Amino acid sequence: MFIFTLRRFNLFFFTMLLLTILSFSLSFLFPGEQLVNLTGQINATPEQLAVLANEYQHQAGFITQYFNYVSHLFHGDMGYSMASHLPVATEIFNRLPATIELTSVALLVAMFVGIPIGFFAAIYHRKTPDNIILGVAMIGYSVPVFWLGILAILVFSIQLGWLPSAGQISLLFEIEHVTGLQLIDILLSDSPYKWQAFIDATRHLILPVIVVALAPATIFMRLARTAMLEVLETHYIKAAKAKGLTFWQIIYRHAMRNAFIKVIRDVGLQFANLVTIAMVTEVIFSWPGIGRWLIESIYQRDYTAIQGGLIVLSTFIFIVHIIIDFVYAALNPLAREPRHGA
Amino acid sequence: MNLIDIRNLSIELQTATKPILAVDRVNLTMKEGEVRGLVGESGSGKSLLAQAIVGVLDDKWKVDADRFHWRGQDLMRLSPEERKVIISKDVAMIFQEPMACLDPTTTIGEQLEEAVDTEQLTGFFWQKRQQRKQAAITLLHKVGIKKHEVCVKSFPHQLTDALCQRVMIAMALARRPILLIADEPTAAMESTNQGQIFRLLASLNQLKNMSILLISHDLENVTHWTNSITVMYSGQFVEAGTTEQIFSQPYHPYTRALVDSSPKANMQIPSKSRLMTLPGSIPVLQHLPIGCRLGPRCPRAQQKCVRAPKIKNFHSQQVSCHFPLKDNYS
Ligand SMILES: Nc1ncnc2c1ncn2[C@@H]1O[C@H](COP(=O)(O)OP(=O)(O)O)[C@@H](O)[C@H]1O
Ligand code: SF4
Ligand SMILES: [Mg+2]
Repeated sequence: MFIFTLRRFNLFFFTMLLLTILSFSLSFLFPGEQLVNLTGQINATPEQLAVLANEYQHQAGFITQYFNYVSHLFHGDMGYSMASHLPVATEIFNRLPATIELTSVALLVAMFVGIPIGFFAAIYHRKTPDNIILGVAMIGYSVPVFWLGILAILVFSIQLGWLPSAGQISLLFEIEHVTGLQLIDILLSDSPYKWQAFIDATRHLILPVIVVALAPATIFMRLARTAMLEVLETHYIKAAKAKGLTFWQIIYRHAMRNAFIKVIRDVGLQFANLVTIAMVTEVIFSWPGIGRWLIESIYQRDYTAIQGGLIVLSTFIFIVHIIIDFVYAALNPLAREPRHGA
Repeated sequence: MNLIDIRNLSIELQTATKPILAVDRVNLTMKEGEVRGLVGESGSGKSLLAQAIVGVLDDKWKVDADRFHWRGQDLMRLSPEERKVIISKDVAMIFQEPMACLDPTTTIGEQLEEAVDTEQLTGFFWQKRQQRKQAAITLLHKVGIKKHEVCVKSFPHQLTDALCQRVMIAMALARRPILLIADEPTAAMESTNQGQIFRLLASLNQLKNMSILLISHDLENVTHWTNSITVMYSGQFVEAGTTEQIFSQPYHPYTRALVDSSPKANMQIPSKSRLMTLPGSIPVLQHLPIGCRLGPRCPRAQQKCVRAPKIKNFHSQQVSCHFPLKDNYS
């Protein structure tokens, strides 16, 4: 387990190294003055620029400049947004929790819906349920997110009026900012309207979560189906049959855990995909998250914001990836052994 | 009364194009308390036959038989579910690769405990958990594993192959089977461990009067432990008789080749030339010869051999060959 952890740290370190190098080189590649791209000070006077150049060691070699940039990052300084003139770090800090909330709820929903359905399909392999599930998965996977989101708003918000179509919570509720994660903040708050607020926030969450979760859920469905089919072919399932266990005993005690482990392994990879879908969804549902902000920054050519957003979002994806790896290791005794823990 | 009596058991592999007859009308009979060897090169369908008997083949295989009697009871008349109940009560099987037959994510202890038959447990349900644990430990002792505390907490990959095989045997014993089918129980094992496993099986046979079907690709390996032997080749029945008969007067050219290539029968031949005395190799499922499948390799093959031979009886020794070697012995 120690070596496993060490390896993840190694991986984390090198990924961060590459990410920061990429982000740093973006400031050169974007049009305009590199120093301005890096700091976001578009209206700076020549004197101010000189001070900045000194601070960022603009005259030194690339390596020194890079380390200088990294040390700024470590101090939470990502420059100023070219559009809003606020510190990028503040902007991100205000928006990231909403994205964390949306993506993690969507990930859980996609897993809890997709994986059992995939198992179900595998158990009824080549029978009607399997075929129906495969067909639905195919459709779910090929529906464009944009279209789905707009359709969901049209039907459930405008036509039926069941669910709100924009934002994270109704403006009526004032929730103190503690963790930034809306649902948790509501539970922590001592407002007399706590439960109304909670229900309202949940209602706001439903449509975007469904839209984000649909495609990943269909992927999990197929992964889970394949994993379960593979597991059902293994010798230990055959041996369990010969032991005299019933079919459902075998499924519950042996097949599900082993198939789940196989799926978990790929969940981390799918998370990056899910975040991309979430960015588009945030735009459609005016979700106050980092994805929408990042897309707006691209429209406004806010290079500083793009660099900062890129780093933070990638780090977030990567951290989730590592957490999932640890879940995988916790479930799989084989992964904890040094010689298997690749 | 025979313990098990199987006539003309066939196993077909359902493929997209046409079904392939992987096992072609094989006979197998066993008496109570007998240790029978089932021998044939790798790919002869021994494992398939064993799995068909215990009923663990999946849907892509179709099993058929003219007769399948278990202790005088005709299992062909029963539904697959009823058959499964009877078989899983009395027949246990240990598979070829012990490590792969244990769930990698569950501890040995848990896997042993779930094999313990609920009917064997007395007492109230809150006592059963403890009893199950105790039963699992007793089973481990029976197969000669003394360090049971370590063993029950281990995961399969933490044990050696030989230990896994012992655990598999322990699991097989949990239901107190009448027949134990051991599919290459010592494959990929050092010879000291092999001996231990065989001795364990022999003692189970003697003390518990448990019948054993011992499967092996190596005739030499099992002769010391068996009363009788059935030989298969490429999914077809070849010859059956007592170990003595098979060794001293094999009637079938294939059995003859097996015996000739075993060093015990040919002490004078140096070990280097202990090769199979038949040229060629076993056919793959996709290209099975018609008639007697040994045909392309058989030194005695003639035109008649394109039709499958009928089984002939020579004093309780059964041979499936048009031209048995019966004149060689007098
Ligand atoms: N799952 C399978 N799918 C396709 N062919 C198989 C499968 N299992 C076994 N076979 C084929 O069936 C034949 C008999 O296999 P098997 O019973 O394992 O032989 P043995 O145990 O005598 O070595 C072989 O030709 C093998 O390739
Ligand atoms: S039937 Fe013919 S081919 Fe087959 S073993 Fe006998 S002689 Fe050889
Ligand atoms: Mg085999």
